[in-house]
Amino acid sequence: MVLMQVIVAGLLIGAVYALFSSGLTLVWGMMNVINFAHGEFVMLGMYVSFWAFTLLHFGVASFSLAAAVMLFILGVLVYICLIKRVMRGPMLAQILSTFGLVLVLRYSAFWAFGSTFVSLPEDILGPSLNVGGILLSAPKLVAGCVALAITIGMHLLLTRTMLGSQILAVAENRNAAMLMGIRPDRMQAIAWGLSGASAGIAGALIATFFPISATVGESLGLIAFVVVTFGGFGSVPGAMLAGLIIGLIESLSAFYFGPIYQDVFVYALFVLVLWIRPRGLMGKA
Amino acid sequence: MLLQAEDIGMYFGGFRAVDGASLTINQGEIIGLIGPNGAGKSTFFNCLVGDLKPSKGRVLFDGHDVTNASPEEHAKLGIGRTFQLPATFEELTILENVMVGAFLRHPRVKDARESAQRVLDLTGLTALADQKAKSLGTPGRKRLEIARVLATEPKLMLLDEALAGLTPSEVQLAIELVRQIHQSGITLVIVEHIMEVILSLTDRVLVFNQGKVIASGAPTDVVNDPAVIEAYLGRSLNKKREQNT
Amino acid sequence: MMRRSGWIALALVLVLFPLSFDNPYYEQLGSLVLLAAISASAWNLIGGYAGQVSVGNAVFFGAGAYMPLLFYKLWEVSPLYGFPAGIAVSVAIAIVIGIPTFRLSGHYFSMATIAVAELIRIVVSNWDFVGASIGLTGPAVARDWTDLVFRSSIPYYYMFLTVLTVLLVMTYCIERSRFGYYLRALRSGERAARSLGVPVSRCKLYIFILSAVFTSLAGSLYAIKFGFADPASGFGILVSVNMVIVAALGGAGRLLGPLLGAVILIPLQSETNTLFGGGGTGFTYILYGGIIMLIARFEPGGLLELWERIRDRRASRRAVALKEALAASLPNSQAGR
Repeated sequence: MVLMQVIVAGLLIGAVYALFSSGLTLVWGMMNVINFAHGEFVMLGMYVSFWAFTLLHFGVASFSLAAAVMLFILGVLVYICLIKRVMRGPMLAQILSTFGLVLVLRYSAFWAFGSTFVSLPEDILGPSLNVGGILLSAPKLVAGCVALAITIGMHLLLTRTMLGSQILAVAENRNAAMLMGIRPDRMQAIAWGLSGASAGIAGALIATFFPISATVGESLGLIAFVVVTFGGFGSVPGAMLAGLIIGLIESLSAFYFGPIYQDVFVYALFVLVLWIRPRGLMGKA
Repeated sequence: MLLQAEDIGMYFGGFRAVDGASLTINQGEIIGLIGPNGAGKSTFFNCLVGDLKPSKGRVLFDGHDVTNASPEEHAKLGIGRTFQLPATFEELTILENVMVGAFLRHPRVKDARESAQRVLDLTGLTALADQKAKSLGTPGRKRLEIARVLATEPKLMLLDEALAGLTPSEVQLAIELVRQIHQSGITLVIVEHIMEVILSLTDRVLVFNQGKVIASGAPTDVVNDPAVIEAYLGRSLNKKREQNT
Repeated sequence: MMRRSGWIALALVLVLFPLSFDNPYYEQLGSLVLLAAISASAWNLIGGYAGQVSVGNAVFFGAGAYMPLLFYKLWEVSPLYGFPAGIAVSVAIAIVIGIPTFRLSGHYFSMATIAVAELIRIVVSNWDFVGASIGLTGPAVARDWTDLVFRSSIPYYYMFLTVLTVLLVMTYCIERSRFGYYLRALRSGERAARSLGVPVSRCKLYIFILSAVFTSLAGSLYAIKFGFADPASGFGILVSVNMVIVAALGGAGRLLGPLLGAVILIPLQSETNTLFGGGGTGFTYILYGGIIMLIARFEPGGLLELWERIRDRRASRRAVALKEALAASLPNSQAGR
């Protein structure tokens, strides 16, 4: 029974990983740019939620929306001011640019909010539930389900709507898309916005059950890298599946080997994936 | 027989980019690959040069099976290729660009430099030797790419739309260069859209459409083949053309 | 590249620097600059020349720092014995990271370097055998000269200078060799390089191994100078960041870029540390992040490239001015032709 609990908890957190990783893989697949600061986007989503709750007394739904909106805007801004210019340049410039952003975002938060962590109240979404003998914390349950829903929603947005197909068209072949009257620049900005928003909402959801600090983005960012690599370059469904699996592995290794080494297992899995199947689960060639 | 591609297929999921294409090239020929956009000729080209591993079929070069060989191995065996969108080393000078090619056969810097300088003479680029590649326009870049590949002393050169985007006078110069290369003993495969180039340079032409080779033979025969015309212009326009003649 | 007189001047400055002041602060600063220059120059091999951006080179630094101290702790031998061990471990890690990722696009490599560095940092932080989060210390008092414990910074300065010189000479030789051309080619365009027969993956791996070796050496030198290493100072991401920014500021892919970056940033770092409170408030890193973003956005080639561009522009302006002056000085009938 405890094992069941561990598994379910792992899948729930995995769904949240899937959510923010799908934004990262969308941008990677589209522009061949890895946002090294993606973990910091999640961290900022967490802080937005905290301050919206503490200062403005927003409820969970409201602050999640606030986080989504603010990080959407940040994503677009980062694209316009930074990414657009370095995209066509040398690889060094591309990687350095988002890497510099990591430092700026992480240490600005550190400077502004201090080194101690803050949390939202534990009972913000109600008490733990007992579902068929498994004890589930309400925040984790809500987070997992909402994350899953939004990720699926994002996949549908990309594959079933006009906007989504335009975004995918630019990802597939920028020049052809231009010839069809699609504005690649605008689509890429929107993609960055969506990427930010997915990180923002994920951050809001995580904030309901996890302490918030400026450095939390470091391990979340790395988890995002592992998920997108494992899921496959550019594949949102791949990120979904990979996120769930990674969440599960993390939960199981924490259970068997203690929480200290859970990240180690995930990073070691990353190296393994690179050796054996770098294409990931569903990556394009 | 220098190169033989047998029944090459390239499938991306359900999409058959190339579906059972074959080609035999003998030493000293100039072969043209033509076809409308999306017909599969670039994909086929990439299978020949080692950029793509074909889903089925074999490629044999000079007695070696190069079907799954890497681009580096292709170069070592004597297959050279240029790129549709010029991929010159922008930050390096023109001489240095060509030296990178020359190093394949001349490991020592001094020898590579001399070999590169000879190639620059051949291709008329000597005056620009110390300029950075990024200072060149498109025709210059295309010529540099050809020079760079020449420096690897290939037996077979595959040119991917090397004459696209050139003005008519530049095209003439490029045709001249290609003829010179051919006369030095190198076998050539040219992917082109410009009919004049195909007609004036090639011995044989393969026409691609929807992943298959729909016609093959002497350039003048192929150009007048109704199937080929239909592939380019569509059936209704072809009918119209027939009605008018 | 500089003229011979420039090189001689530089060599003189570097050799005579610690002897010119009788101030232990400057001597210490000098040795810190050189140490930073070594790690940054080592990073420059893989990140600058080959264009493969490692943001986890700290893993080699840490291995190099821990091994000598570990050897001392376990067997009470001179830390010098740990130097080769650090190198061996670093080479092994470089191979584990490099072999799978060098046949893929550069992003995988960069991500892998962060992940592996973090992985090892966490393991080391929790492993009592290597001191867990407290770390390891070396000999406090020299038993003989091989313990390499000196009271003054000057012997360290010359040790570091020797290693830096070896590294830079090696880099110079590589620059002018076939290997160097191949590295610049693959940095410029991998696909094109492969099509010309350049063994791209192998080149990346070799230069990465070389980078790992010298980074490990830098770590070992750090350990014997400071007599101590812990997970943060050995394997922390800020250690990796330092290497990158020092090289990138001066000029990634250029021989003296890292040294220039070190000369500028290390003194600056000790000033801001006193100004902003030793990195405790994080302001230094906001600044670093901003500098990195500016470099990436406006001048990826760093200060040396900026200098080159200004110099070229001035030279061409002078040439134009000269031409105009010449034309103006001709008799009217020939001017304006």
